[in-house]
Amino acid sequence: MHPFILMALSLPSWQDEWPFLVTGLALGGVYALSGVGMIVLYRTTGVLNLSFGAVGAFGALIAWQLINHSGVNQWLAYLVCILFSGVLTLAYGMVFGRALAGRDPLVKTTATLGLTLVLLGVMDLLWTSSGGASRAITLPTDNHGFMIGQVQVSTTDVIGLAVGVALTIVTTAFLRYSKLGTAMRAMANDREITATLGVPVRRVEAAAWFGCGIVSGVAGILLADLVALDATTLTFLVISSLAAALIARLSSIVITFVAAIVIGVVDALITPIQSLSNYRDMTPFVLAAVALLVINRHRVISISQEGI
Amino acid sequence: MSAAGVETADTTTQPPSSPGGFDTRTLVRPAVIAALLLFVVLALPSILSTYYVDAMIQVAIWSIVALGLGLLVGRVGLVSLGQAAVLALGAWVAARILFATSLPYPLVLLAAGLITMVLGTLVGLPALRLSGLYLALITLMLAGAITVVLATTNFPNGGHGFLGYNGSAVHIPQIRRPSIANTDTAFLRYSVIVAALMFLLVLAHVRTRPGRAWAAIRQSESAALAAGINTTLYKLWAFALASFVTGVAGGLLAGSSRYLYSYDFTTQESITLLAVVLMGGIFSLWGAIIAGLLLQLLPQLLNSWGVSPDWLTILFGIGVLQVLLTAPAGLVDQVPKDLARLGRLLRGLARRVAPAGGRSP
Repeated sequence: MHPFILMALSLPSWQDEWPFLVTGLALGGVYALSGVGMIVLYRTTGVLNLSFGAVGAFGALIAWQLINHSGVNQWLAYLVCILFSGVLTLAYGMVFGRALAGRDPLVKTTATLGLTLVLLGVMDLLWTSSGGASRAITLPTDNHGFMIGQVQVSTTDVIGLAVGVALTIVTTAFLRYSKLGTAMRAMANDREITATLGVPVRRVEAAAWFGCGIVSGVAGILLADLVALDATTLTFLVISSLAAALIARLSSIVITFVAAIVIGVVDALITPIQSLSNYRDMTPFVLAAVALLVINRHRVISISQEGI
Repeated sequence: MSAAGVETADTTTQPPSSPGGFDTRTLVRPAVIAALLLFVVLALPSILSTYYVDAMIQVAIWSIVALGLGLLVGRVGLVSLGQAAVLALGAWVAARILFATSLPYPLVLLAAGLITMVLGTLVGLPALRLSGLYLALITLMLAGAITVVLATTNFPNGGHGFLGYNGSAVHIPQIRRPSIANTDTAFLRYSVIVAALMFLLVLAHVRTRPGRAWAAIRQSESAALAAGINTTLYKLWAFALASFVTGVAGGLLAGSSRYLYSYDFTTQESITLLAVVLMGGIFSLWGAIIAGLLLQLLPQLLNSWGVSPDWLTILFGIGVLQVLLTAPAGLVDQVPKDLARLGRLLRGLARRVAPAGGRSP
């Protein structure tokens, strides 16, 4: 056998994999959080918010600035980050979301790339990444933790998975039982008919935008701690959540959660396998492409209403 | 001013005039374009400083890339968020062939285009039967994935094996240029001619059967299907053509920069590219040239004025929102209209001011 194949087959032992499994679950939880936030907004307004990562990164950088240069209490700074993300997303939704409400989802989604570029530009101006300036957000929960067997698990890891699980359960229940949630589901089916039935469509949309923004702020802080506090990295980490949402055909919250966990875990478990380690960030793309191929084997062509 | 005049004349969305009728417009337009091309090929390279010759080479190359993306977005209604990654593929293939063989440069460009075409089409395949949003998302992820692979494999730099990368090389050989275009000015001429050929290739498609099929698909896919148009085939065709021209552009890029680095092709680059293509105008081929100028000449201008390129990123973001909200046809359509409006306004002002100025003293 070719030595390369042997090398690829020489899998690390399970003992080596445990720490990576923990990281994977934590990251998967945050991806699930982001994916669910994006899907709820998409179902309600038809906008797939590609600026999700950029907004979270902006919030996290503001929190970093407050903590390190203004001496603000860090919990207060995180609260500011989350609120800022919520308000910024809401403001975008009120101005551009409303103006583009009648257009094709593809147009609405492309428009969020405009916001992404603006935010990337502003972040680069305010917190330049050249000159080797490195920033970090360290949650106090990083130092707390416990051992499972021989594996160190930090409280941040637990939080990452927990918020993902919690948001999935809460959102599912919210959509099913609350009045606002029912309105959101109705709007996912037909905006015009829902409006005719007396639902305050714009207020429901505003709630969805604000909720999505809040979630992006939470994800921004957690990812800044778990991965890195870097504008570009955080902006494009959204791709992993996007893949999960895509596997769920942009509709099922539960499938999004499962897919996000799988993406996070597979990505992390590949890390110690030498021959594949460098390619592990392809995981979201490969999984989403395979899922699309399998799901759509027997589907007929779907037709969008309007181009750009 | 003459450039603005040309843009007004060229509204490629209108049907081509009948071949029999020699009205003046059909003759004037090609003549003006030919004169412009001659000026860019013959005079411009010798006028410009080295700094701007480099910039204009990049403008020519990225105009081709914008042409491919504009074709997808404007003619067929497919949005690709991974064109910078496709360009990287083309550049990789071209660099590998240039190091491995001594084939003449045009053949290398052709090969890079064809191989990129096959790869690009394969990648678009899973999403083509889905709605446009899925294609946009899958290409965005593809851009991320190709970036990851390139960061590991690196670009060929004269090493051995399939990847052709030599990590420990002390003396890294340059990627060769065509023998007739070794200097920067000559390479600019070469790039402009290749770009012109690519524009002609796309124009030939747009004006004939595939162009009509794409227009039908853009209007209504179900109607196109009902009219007996094989929509999957023509979408794939558009994808293949766009990948081909982008691959050729990659071949030029390999020669122009002489050393290629994986960090030059980021996901953000793909998104910026879509932004300038939308801003330039997706319904006219001139929009692609404007997109190239926005993307490659404007940063160099700002740089020489000492303005941070981040402002440009912000401008492009605002530009996308503005185009989608108010001006779907982009700068190509908007600037002549605005100039005309400004002209009317000035004339109106002049008329109002002139009698007033006559009376008051």
